[in-house]
Amino acid sequence: MNNRLRELREAQGWSQGELAERLEVSRQTINALETGKYDPSLPLAFRIARLFHSRIEDLFLPDDA
Amino acid sequence: MTLRRWMWIFVAIALGSFALAGAGRWLLQWPDETIGLWVGIGAGYLLGAGLFLLMPRWWRQHCDDMYAQPAGRRYIRALWPIMIGYSLTLFASIWFIKRGVESVPLRALVAVLPAIPLALMMGAALRYLREVDELQRRIETEAIGIASLLTSLLYFGAGLLQKAKVFEVDAGVAMIWVFPLLAAIYGIAKMRLTKRYL
Repeated sequence: MNNRLRELREAQGWSQGELAERLEVSRQTINALETGKYDPSLPLAFRIARLFHSRIEDLFLPDDA
Repeated sequence: MTLRRWMWIFVAIALGSFALAGAGRWLLQWPDETIGLWVGIGAGYLLGAGLFLLMPRWWRQHCDDMYAQPAGRRYIRALWPIMIGYSLTLFASIWFIKRGVESVPLRALVAVLPAIPLALMMGAALRYLREVDELQRRIETEAIGIASLLTSLLYFGAGLLQKAKVFEVDAGVAMIWVFPLLAAIYGIAKMRLTKRYL
């Protein structure tokens, strides 16, 4: 699954560590999400969407989209 | 706490043990068995410190990240007293069993004493597993799964070989090595799985 996490994080001027702290996950999780190596659970996807004032479907895009 | 600091703590414990062994030999006239025990403890901790140095940089960085998280900090805080308890109960159990305990129920109780702190450690590890962030939980559960399956497979194969009289291992020794083998495979599996997500 592709996502716009890096783009949105950089637009806010946050480091991976800062975003990790805001989402209460590890920096490794943020890195794995941004590189598309890991797809988040629904609760985490909702937390990310809420943090960036977006909808889940605007943040995460299926591979065939 | 970073892994580097852990390494220095291990070095300090090793030097302390060697100093105690030296004092026991030249100042306190301790028996050779006690001196050997402290030299062994020192060598073990020095080996542990050496293992920290052998770890790749990315792994040390990952561990430092994980143990800086609240769940990791709670786990390490719980682990310290448990490991000290394990060392003391193991020492006491071996000491009493070597000197002989006549009553069988009492001997059984003394023999399994070190298993109590290990059970507490497993409890702390399960709590860590529930509290840690979701990616790490996935890595941990997969590593535990791989370790359980591989250990079972190895023991099943070894059991068949022993039945076929290819080799013979004392049953007590074989049973004691289940947990260290499981822990070693878990560690290797966790390293490989972690690298996948870096």
